[in-house]
Amino acid sequence: MEEGKTGMEPLGPKAGAGLADGGGFPCHDPGEHKGGTGAGPGAPPFAEIRDLGVSYGRYDILKGVSAVIPERRQTVIIGPNGAGKSTLVLALLGEVPHTGSITFRKPKPVIGYVPQRLDFDRHLPLSVAEFMALGRGFWPLWLRIPKKVNDRNREYLEMVRAGNLLPRPLGSLSGGETQRVFLARALMGNPDMLILDEPATGVDVYGEKLLCEILDTFKRDFTIVMVSHDLATAKAHGDWIICLNRTVVAQGAPDAIFRTDVLSRAFGLHLGPLFERESQGAAAPGAA
Amino acid sequence: MEYLQHLYDLMAVFYEAEFMRRAALALFLLSIAASGTGVLVVSRRMAFFPDAAGHTIFGGLALGLILGLPIDITVLCFGVLIGILIIYVMRHSTLASDTVIGLIFSGGVAFGLALVSRYPEAQNKITAYFLGDIMTVNDDEMKLLIILAIVSILFFVFLYNRLMLSCVAPANYLKGALTEYLFGGFLAFVVVIAVQVVGVLLVTALLIAPAAAGRLLAPSGRWMFWIALLVSVVSGQVGLSIAYQPVVNTTPGATVVFISIVIFALCALGKKAWTALRKKEAIVNESPG
Repeated sequence: MEEGKTGMEPLGPKAGAGLADGGGFPCHDPGEHKGGTGAGPGAPPFAEIRDLGVSYGRYDILKGVSAVIPERRQTVIIGPNGAGKSTLVLALLGEVPHTGSITFRKPKPVIGYVPQRLDFDRHLPLSVAEFMALGRGFWPLWLRIPKKVNDRNREYLEMVRAGNLLPRPLGSLSGGETQRVFLARALMGNPDMLILDEPATGVDVYGEKLLCEILDTFKRDFTIVMVSHDLATAKAHGDWIICLNRTVVAQGAPDAIFRTDVLSRAFGLHLGPLFERESQGAAAPGAA
Repeated sequence: MEYLQHLYDLMAVFYEAEFMRRAALALFLLSIAASGTGVLVVSRRMAFFPDAAGHTIFGGLALGLILGLPIDITVLCFGVLIGILIIYVMRHSTLASDTVIGLIFSGGVAFGLALVSRYPEAQNKITAYFLGDIMTVNDDEMKLLIILAIVSILFFVFLYNRLMLSCVAPANYLKGALTEYLFGGFLAFVVVIAVQVVGVLLVTALLIAPAAAGRLLAPSGRWMFWIALLVSVVSGQVGLSIAYQPVVNTTPGATVVFISIVIFALCALGKKAWTALRKKEAIVNESPG
């Protein structure tokens, strides 16, 4: 099932070139987003998904998904509810059986994952320091955390501007704080790729902005994949957009994706015209 | 056998009678295993599991009688197998876990009681399993309790963190199902032995009450473990002492569980009072003048 993880060949610049001319990664109708691939991701692909399908019983959740995730760029997967965004993430993590293949640039990549739902048992007595140290090195929870481990954990928390949270109980954190702690934990594994599933869920505007700022600082260090149904975030922070609705409707640079025809195909109805008005009123994206 | 005698002698500080020393030692060893396990059960919201695994003891008894196998070993192996089976069904079934556990639990009891009713000589065993019996712990059972304590400590050293992590983190943090199966088997092992001490009706409380007290009072995961252990040991020893006061003269297993629940209730009340007091103080400090 996980061909992508074992038998894979290294990807050369060839794949990137294929992407640039739009021929290598056909969506259902290559003509529908000619402009979409015109810009190219500007980086070699870190992961290449070919003809991926996932089905639960008789239902196809994803079918014929082919896309690239450029290296050291921020890729945003957008799509309506039920488009299979989270399932695609699970497939990337190797957590669901799938058909087709996922080929990574590096054999056995380390993937950091920040889940969508952070609704754990909030009355569980567990401090942030303990949570960060769990499962890292040999130290049973019921003993004092070694100072060295604690110092290292604080460093990671400071990377996500959460150093002050170390002594707090995990359950007392706000949505945004919890998310940054989970992000710090994901960073601890020194990941090649970082996946965030709907990071805007349950987070206030300030928290979301902070998270985006933090992610922007890492942008060139990791390959980041973010799932979002918030188009504004995707447009502002994404370098590469994959527009998903059970299959890849379009992929490309943000300028090329946020256009009427592409969006209305992915989201249906209203959103296309909305963006069209916006692009006519303000500086037209992709026009330059 | 000599080391066992040494251990009994050690308990002489607290008790004069040999049977009391044995009972005290048995309860202490059981506390070590039950408290940490209870913390995991409470944190992972598996409070039904000990109940279900405990009831499989009747199935084990029936199987031992039919096949003519040594009862104690059969009961233990059968319990551990069912524990692993529960985890398997929980992982692979689309049903909610309480439904699954409920089914396996009733299935085990039905199978056991139906078959055991054919063997009148097993009636005593059944009563013992319902109510537990700490006062007749023999040397073999004591050895088993020592093994249980050692296995528990090893389990807490190597697997405790992983199991706690999966309470807060998404499924993919817990790579591989092995840890879960090991936990299912280990938990059933603890439960089957605990049933013989406090009885199947009270085994859940023996595991859960100390852990619940720990959860109420502890500021962190580390303290939850130690508070649970403390409550477990204290309620074990206090319960045993009280049960054997001539005036009281109650069943020790039930007394131990009752004391641990009393301690939990006191902790809950104490915490409530403390929070109310803090609130009041805060209001007084904030008010002008």
